Amino acid sequence: MYRYDAFDQQFVDERVAHYREQTRRYLEGELTEEQFLHLRLRNGLYLQRLAPMLRVAIPYGTLSSEQLRLLAHIARHYDRGYGHLSTRQNMQFNWPELAEVPDILEELATVQMHAIQTSGNCIRNVTADEYAGVAADESVDARPYCELLRQWSTAHPEFDWLPRKFKIAITGASDDRAAIDVHDIGIHVYRQDGEVKFDIKVGGGLGRTPVIGALIREALPVEHLLTYVEAIMRVYNRYGRRDNKYKARIKILVRAMTAEGFRERVEEEWVHLKGSPSTLTPEEIGRIEAQFLPPAYPVNATASDSLATDRLTDPEFNRWVRQNVAPHKQPGYAIVVLSTKQTGVPPGDVSDAQMEAVADWADRYGFGEIRVSHQQNFVLPDVPQDQLLELWREAKASHLATANRGLLTDIICCPGGDYCSLANAKSIPIAEAIQRQFDDYDYLYDLGEIDLNISGCMNACGHHHVGHIGILGVDKKGAEFYQISIGGHAGNGASLGSIVGPSFSRAEVPNVIDDILTTYLESRIEDESFLHCFRRIGMEPFKERIYAEAA
Amino acid sequence: MPKLLKLGRVSDSQPDLVDADSWTHASGKGVRIAVDQEIDERLLAADLIAVDFPVFNDGRGLSLAVLLRSRHGFTGELMAVGDVHEDLLHYMQRCGFTSFLIPDERDPMTALAVLAPYSDYYQASVTEPIPVYRRIGRGA
Repeated sequence: MYRYDAFDQQFVDERVAHYREQTRRYLEGELTEEQFLHLRLRNGLYLQRLAPMLRVAIPYGTLSSEQLRLLAHIARHYDRGYGHLSTRQNMQFNWPELAEVPDILEELATVQMHAIQTSGNCIRNVTADEYAGVAADESVDARPYCELLRQWSTAHPEFDWLPRKFKIAITGASDDRAAIDVHDIGIHVYRQDGEVKFDIKVGGGLGRTPVIGALIREALPVEHLLTYVEAIMRVYNRYGRRDNKYKARIKILVRAMTAEGFRERVEEEWVHLKGSPSTLTPEEIGRIEAQFLPPAYPVNATASDSLATDRLTDPEFNRWVRQNVAPHKQPGYAIVVLSTKQTGVPPGDVSDAQMEAVADWADRYGFGEIRVSHQQNFVLPDVPQDQLLELWREAKASHLATANRGLLTDIICCPGGDYCSLANAKSIPIAEAIQRQFDDYDYLYDLGEIDLNISGCMNACGHHHVGHIGILGVDKKGAEFYQISIGGHAGNGASLGSIVGPSFSRAEVPNVIDDILTTYLESRIEDESFLHCFRRIGMEPFKERIYAEAA
Repeated sequence: MPKLLKLGRVSDSQPDLVDADSWTHASGKGVRIAVDQEIDERLLAADLIAVDFPVFNDGRGLSLAVLLRSRHGFTGELMAVGDVHEDLLHYMQRCGFTSFLIPDERDPMTALAVLAPYSDYYQASVTEPIPVYRRIGRGA
């Protein structure tokens, strides 16, 4: 993974000092709430319903064991002993003291971490496939290009005061796990004739107006990555709407200009930037790529003999392997998803002790590296197959071995009305009610892969539009209600869900989910997935069952 | 009275500005442009262009400055006026602004103190057109 050089460290240290000085001016009354708001947001600090919330950047979801141990320390020392994995691969702390945040940032800087641009109307943490570098279906590791963008976008002189927040995601795999179709910029990186190339999409996004991004550039050569993104950012910064925050995202501009019109403006702009000193040099690309080279796998690593026996002897272990272990590039190794979705625990919440345990496993079984997925789970990228059983036993004792990766109960869920001041409704109790009602593994396994995503408001942090089943908290005359959609999808061939109809009370939601699942089970042909089945039969059969019962 | 921050000094001198549509070179005055304005080649002959920030966090003024400097070769004085906030000065400066009219309610000495919070930056800018990795040996 990427290690800071002296320059990175200097910049992050100076940022801490800078923010400490801004906090001091605020506390001494020299900055108004509104002025300080924009400064604290660019350092990850929100003021929430009950307390401030600090969002720490985990660039493209990659962490070292040392960094995770520091996060555990922060959870224990400055918070209430837990952190929350966000849907953009960051970690959020819900109870820090505003005056202590500079100290937290200073501690983070000692392990090459920060909270720079994790909120505010600027370029946010660039997200990536959580299996980047190890996935069997990957052609290029996306992380070096995320890192190049991270450095370029950090305190960018021109693009730190955009009309609205700006999110970039990159994938280099054939199965898009980074949801690039629903980002402001979504990039697919691949190799063509030995050269790294990018396909660039713009104007995707969720929120109030969900849109699938439009492809505006194919096969962009690697050296032009930053100048091309610069051209996009300039067109957006100049022409994106600033009069209405709900119409300020780039998707609205792309729609207004049409994708073709937007592409032409970007190309006109790029003519002036192409070949400028911001063009990447082969040396710089090589320097960054070299930091993401695969670790030193044993030369004689081969597929494990003992794994098959272990699976046969313990059905529970077998289930977990089937569900939570993904194929690895390297023979003899596996990618392990440590699910945070245990019933009764808010999705994405992890305790300090769990963080330390995961850090220890990363050191013991792997090469000291951990990933965070946008599905709010931890991932251990390099586990020898013949040690899976041992790891599973430990993970089980730490409540991180729920065998539900990709299943109905692996719910993506925002913090919702329990914490967030934007939320219209609570989301965590909905997740819990669903997990309680559908707790039979065989039933869940029979249902197959179903993404159930919950957002407490239109801002869609819980990605409800792209859930196969999406749940959105809405306010109906002061009461919390839930609108349900079906047919969204975040990966390849992304789609936005369709709303089933009038919204439901919290108590009704689990039964509505049951109606949806029953309709699917009765309608599916052979091993047809939920999504395929919905796309084939449409909304009507689902609607009929749901509202027939309600009537 | 607003204070002018220029070349590391604070002064009481006030710019003499005319809006773009009524400005002529013969007037000898500075020209004031709005952040959403397209660049009119005619204005490039001015000695002073002032970009008027309607609110302190309107980043359009930053792009406008970059275009004036990098694309249109404007070499005169580029002044930030309007809702100029001290915490944006370092961005403004790197986008090519050379002077700042600090509003009454802001403290010009604070503005001076926070003008350069970082010793260097990653990316190219108007004031440093070469990205850091091309200037220093990175990786150490």
